[in-house]
Amino acid sequence: MKHTALALSLSLLALGAASAQKVSLTYLHGFTGPDRPVMEGLVKKFNETHPNIEVRAQAQPWGTTWQQLPSLVASGRAPDVVVINEDQITGFIARGAVSPLAPAEMKAAGIDQTRFFGPLFKTADYRGQSYGLPVSSVAYAMFYNKDLMKKVGLDPNKPPRTRAEFLAAAQKCTVDKSGKNATQAGFDPKNLDTWGVSLYNNWVGSRAAYAAILQNGGELTDKNGNAAFNSPQAVSAVQFLVDLVQKQKVARPNSTEEAELAAFSQGKVCMFPSGQWYLDRFEQQKMNFGVTFMPRVGGSVRDAAWGGSSHLTLPRQKPGYDAAKRKAALEFMAWMTQPEQNLAWTATGSLPSQAAVAKNAQFEKAPINGIFDRLDSVYATSGVPWMGQVLGPFDAAWEAAYSGKKTVAKALGDGVTESNKQIEQARKNFQ
Amino acid sequence: MTATPVSTPQETVRRGSGPRPRRRVSLEPYLYLLPHAALFFVFTVYPIGYGLYIAMHRWDLLSGRQPFVGLEFFRNLFIAGTPQADFFWRTLWNTTFFTLISVPLLVAAALGLALLLHRPIFGRAFFRAVFFMPGILTVSVMGILWRWMFDNQIGLVNAARELTGAPPIPWLSTEGLAWIPIIVGTIWWTLGFNMTLYLAALGNISQSFYEAAELDGATAGQQFRFITWPLLTPITLFVVITTALASFQLFGQSLVITNGGPNRSTQSVIQYITEEGFSNSQISSAAAMGFVFGLLMLVLTAAQFRLMARDVQSSGEEK
Repeated sequence: MKHTALALSLSLLALGAASAQKVSLTYLHGFTGPDRPVMEGLVKKFNETHPNIEVRAQAQPWGTTWQQLPSLVASGRAPDVVVINEDQITGFIARGAVSPLAPAEMKAAGIDQTRFFGPLFKTADYRGQSYGLPVSSVAYAMFYNKDLMKKVGLDPNKPPRTRAEFLAAAQKCTVDKSGKNATQAGFDPKNLDTWGVSLYNNWVGSRAAYAAILQNGGELTDKNGNAAFNSPQAVSAVQFLVDLVQKQKVARPNSTEEAELAAFSQGKVCMFPSGQWYLDRFEQQKMNFGVTFMPRVGGSVRDAAWGGSSHLTLPRQKPGYDAAKRKAALEFMAWMTQPEQNLAWTATGSLPSQAAVAKNAQFEKAPINGIFDRLDSVYATSGVPWMGQVLGPFDAAWEAAYSGKKTVAKALGDGVTESNKQIEQARKNFQ
Repeated sequence: MTATPVSTPQETVRRGSGPRPRRRVSLEPYLYLLPHAALFFVFTVYPIGYGLYIAMHRWDLLSGRQPFVGLEFFRNLFIAGTPQADFFWRTLWNTTFFTLISVPLLVAAALGLALLLHRPIFGRAFFRAVFFMPGILTVSVMGILWRWMFDNQIGLVNAARELTGAPPIPWLSTEGLAWIPIIVGTIWWTLGFNMTLYLAALGNISQSFYEAAELDGATAGQQFRFITWPLLTPITLFVVITTALASFQLFGQSLVITNGGPNRSTQSVIQYITEEGFSNSQISSAAAMGFVFGLLMLVLTAAQFRLMARDVQSSGEEK
């Protein structure tokens, strides 16, 4: 009797101690729509396997989070973990909304940054410190129509990789209504039946120019954070793309994203560089297509494509914030970015964030596998707090160059001038 | 001079010790006003004051300091060479251009349709519904629809041109032409509302005027000119002012159809203010622009009222 009572009281005591240690975390993310159940499933699994931590996830549209986060942090009511996207993250870091992840902290939580694709992990770096772990990523890829390539005499299993191969393929694919291709005499570019590559003038279209500039060794900004997309490398890279329209006549002038998407779906265009998020759509249409990494059209310095990403971050908290909470939050972040969880997350259409996941057998036969050999060359637009002031003028410059309203050098030069004027003003916010 | 009604100390005393009910009566109207006044202060006066505070400080919630900068962000709008001066006035002109073209069309077409559908023609209710219906769509649905209609390559308009052998026109990427989908779409979208207002007004005109005019041998044109038009003046004032204000608030249509392009030629001033505030994170600058734009709207509306109120009065006298 006595023993049972003692055991009971002891176990009650232990239970009390355990529940006292239980840490409750709030987790704010923008994965709404079809992504939401997958994220909620992962959080549920975490809670089940971690009896000491309870994560309460809340999904809300990204834009709402960007508007609320500053006041939440300022008033000391920030959630314990927040997901921030690549185009916003540097701005929030520079404004002090996010706290840095110390190397020792990451090590203690079992986070090994070398596991991730390098540029993807560095997206959340600022001034030599890390601020977030990539939980989701998307990228620009080049879709190509295998049937059409075969028809014009190209090997559908060997998509172009270099500038020369790319141009040759585009020329062969560009056939007018009388059956002449872009290299033949009497070719009529005004009456195209099929054409080589899709280019267009919105922000999605301008990401092809971004990739080309990186491929040629250029950058959007210099090391001081000023706009620098009019460097000789950038001008030469963008010139090649514009020439595809104006000189080579292998891309349609005055096109729109909708028109190029429809044309690719109808088998009218060989190569369609765009976001990997269109994969689903082409798969459902039962098209015979392939996916490859963006060829080196800009130059041969390096492989590059644009990518977007979402990062798990720890917002700045008020003084006296519970250290156990921060530790638990790091444990949650570490778990969420483990290969197993990342693999589950790719069901949403996101790309693997690390090589180990990309090697998984489930991707072997998937078309998207075509870009997996170069996922470590996917670059997000981040790194300066005033990304909006850089990308707005950059997109406008691409539009002016693509449509032939300005020469490439003038378009990019004007864009840099406008961007730097705005950066000069924005800097005052960060002093 | 001595009779000036100034309250003497005695009076004050008397008031203070006077019968209580009198006091309660004088408080009553304010109690009735209180709910609205509270909402008015919370949702109008306070935000305006806070907005002014933001516009005059370098405002960022996260940074500890919000230094006072006075009129710097207002001044930026008047210094040539700053992006704000360049784009604010350019986009304001874009918006004005849109208003100048769309308002006369929206008023004239709505009146024309109302005159047609006021008469007992066959299928009148059906046509009224047809013209009113687009107005219930959200701006994004309407925008995507007209974007597709006028798409350079896959648009219905260019497809129709191709049938006749004409070459396609790059509507969405040519400066100037890019306004056409926006204006046509807006008219299609909002015409029904103005038409309904005119229909209601037409229904209020007594038939006896027309009967008398007919006896005097007035033609249909004369009847319109001397009876219908003058009696519609009050509603025309209302339609013109509301349509002009709505047109100046152009945002969704050009955002969805052209995204302000090509080369910012169809960017509306509100879209630019949004860009400055949320994409460039220059909240204070955006607030300052909002105030300048708001002030311009206020002046414009006042001027319109003055001009047209005279007409309303004189037409009232003619009655």
